[in-house]
Amino acid sequence: MTTPAEMTREQTASAGARNVRKQRLKTIARHAILIAWTLVILFPIYWMVATSFKESGEWVAWPPHWIPHEPTIKNYSQIFAFDTSEAGVAREATEQPFNVWGPLGDSLLICTVSALIALLLGTFLAYSISRFNVGGKHFRHAILMIRMVPPIVIAIPLLMYYAIMIPLAAETVLGTRIVLFDTRIGVSAIYIATTLPFVIWMMLTFIEEVPYTLEHAARMMGAGRMYTLRRVVLPLVASGMVVTFLFVFILNWAEFLLALTLTHPDVVTLPVLLNKFQSASEGRLFGPQAAIGTIITIPVVVLGMLIQKHLIRGFSFGTIRK
Amino acid sequence: MAQIVLKDVVKRFGAQIAVKGMNLQVRDGEFLIMVGPSGCGKTTTLNMISGLERPTSGEIAIGGQVVNDLEPGERGLGMVFQDLALFPHLTVYENIAFGLRVKKVLEAEIDSRVRAAAEAMHISPLLAKRPAQCSGGESQRVALARTIVTNPAVFLMDEPLSSLDAKLRVDMRTELKRLHDRLSATFVYVTHDQAEAMTMADRIVVMSGGLVEQIGEPLEIYRKPASQFVASFFGTPTMNFLSGTVESTGGSLALRTANLRQRLPDSMPASLVGRNVVLGVRSEHVTIGKNGGNPGKVQLIEPLGAESLVFFEYGGATPLVAKIDPEMPLDTGDNLTFDFDPAGYHLFDADTGKRLN
Repeated sequence: MTTPAEMTREQTASAGARNVRKQRLKTIARHAILIAWTLVILFPIYWMVATSFKESGEWVAWPPHWIPHEPTIKNYSQIFAFDTSEAGVAREATEQPFNVWGPLGDSLLICTVSALIALLLGTFLAYSISRFNVGGKHFRHAILMIRMVPPIVIAIPLLMYYAIMIPLAAETVLGTRIVLFDTRIGVSAIYIATTLPFVIWMMLTFIEEVPYTLEHAARMMGAGRMYTLRRVVLPLVASGMVVTFLFVFILNWAEFLLALTLTHPDVVTLPVLLNKFQSASEGRLFGPQAAIGTIITIPVVVLGMLIQKHLIRGFSFGTIRK
Repeated sequence: MAQIVLKDVVKRFGAQIAVKGMNLQVRDGEFLIMVGPSGCGKTTTLNMISGLERPTSGEIAIGGQVVNDLEPGERGLGMVFQDLALFPHLTVYENIAFGLRVKKVLEAEIDSRVRAAAEAMHISPLLAKRPAQCSGGESQRVALARTIVTNPAVFLMDEPLSSLDAKLRVDMRTELKRLHDRLSATFVYVTHDQAEAMTMADRIVVMSGGLVEQIGEPLEIYRKPASQFVASFFGTPTMNFLSGTVESTGGSLALRTANLRQRLPDSMPASLVGRNVVLGVRSEHVTIGKNGGNPGKVQLIEPLGAESLVFFEYGGATPLVAKIDPEMPLDTGDNLTFDFDPAGYHLFDADTGKRLN
């Protein structure tokens, strides 16, 4: 016959086993939801990459071809090749230009130059904020407010500035027409302005990890401010500068709205080109679009994976200090 | 000449006054140590001498020249920081050569001076390494080599030994003292460690709350502290303090506390009668016996090897401490009797803390 003590022990053991089962079920459910949601998020990227390897007959087939039945690299060869054959010239008469080289060049040039300039300006400004408290104690937070404005809000006013007001003002004041609309300089300028807050924020974190005493030691040995910056501070934040450059490059690389608003037809960035694929004979050219989308996505994914660890550090906003 | 003179130097940070009217003369070639608790203004004073901070008011002169408006690099000083401030991205060689490169010294001369400084500090094998690859003691020597290579007339040191372990600290103290003797330069050293101050200084400046409490030679400060603060800061264990009132009986003065009545030496002035005072007695001037004297009870015995410390309560607010022979047969809980050696009396005003005898 079981005693009251034995009964209590048995009850405790079975309650423990029930708890373990409950925890296990919760963990399984949690992971299942996360996996399902990840699949939902990743599916469009998979579909884009798959479509880039499909023939035109499979692009909008129903039921959908989840895996390309006849994989092809024709979409990629179309966007990369200069087809000067008779068929190629004839096709260009009915379709918009496929060629990705121009927009690829524009994107690379604009994104690299604007990231470099933003990095240079932002690093010096971050140093001033850190060492001289430029702007006061709230400035470093106020700087980020610029980035809180949605691009759609400033896109049309910027168009007015670029296309009408700046040329008019320049012609009136300087006697010469300065055009920023549909220019690489114009797009770069706005990219610099919109990414500067990020550069400042990230470089602040890296610069504030450099101990003040290193600069004091350099000053004691006769080094001026610029010498100290060049020989002591910048070498120590060099890896932070690389991470910041890559992050800003990614932001500019994927930027669509401002590039669409402020350019046409000379300057075309890759995201804008993506929007343009139409054909009189075939309608929307999903295959080449998917190929370009894949090309746009690759640097973002690769660079993002390279810098993700450093991004977490950069976005700690200086709250984690040594 | 490397004499340093501070005249009425004040430093404010907003509403807070870190240094309240410092007057100090550092003699040419002396090893002067500024000592005090955290926040007393010693590092701020050092930073003002170095030029890293500007005085709010007052004058600082080095070698007869007022340097208030001179940049740190123009004052002919060398400085060793608490965290050593070695450049982590440069080799030891480049760290030492940094100051010479700033001054655009020729490469051949840089090489010979760097190697000579490394040789003097016994770090020649480390020249190709980075600071992260050096131990605490080695890093300390690199920092010293970087300072001596520019031949400064004055060395400023801000707690350079605080990050070292106890044994290394003792070794480096000797090293610094030897360096001072060899170079015959002026050393201005900041520390919160009274043992460092006692062992290394030619003179000590004791600071508290932005003010100078006392300036003097180590033994003078130990034997005749100018205030209760100085008395409590120097000496291990801390001086014993008994608060009471001076009374007069039969022509002699005595200190009356809640539990004791101690006769004071005849040299004490009669004007002290009725005054609230604090009597300070160092542990080496407390005598312990089994019979005669005041009663007490042992709380704790700390054996130190050559001597032992006995902490005992006598009915006062805090226990007293005495140094005893380690062979003395005493144990926790034992009753004892104690008395004080009048030659070791230090009398302080209870309100101002200033010395009275």
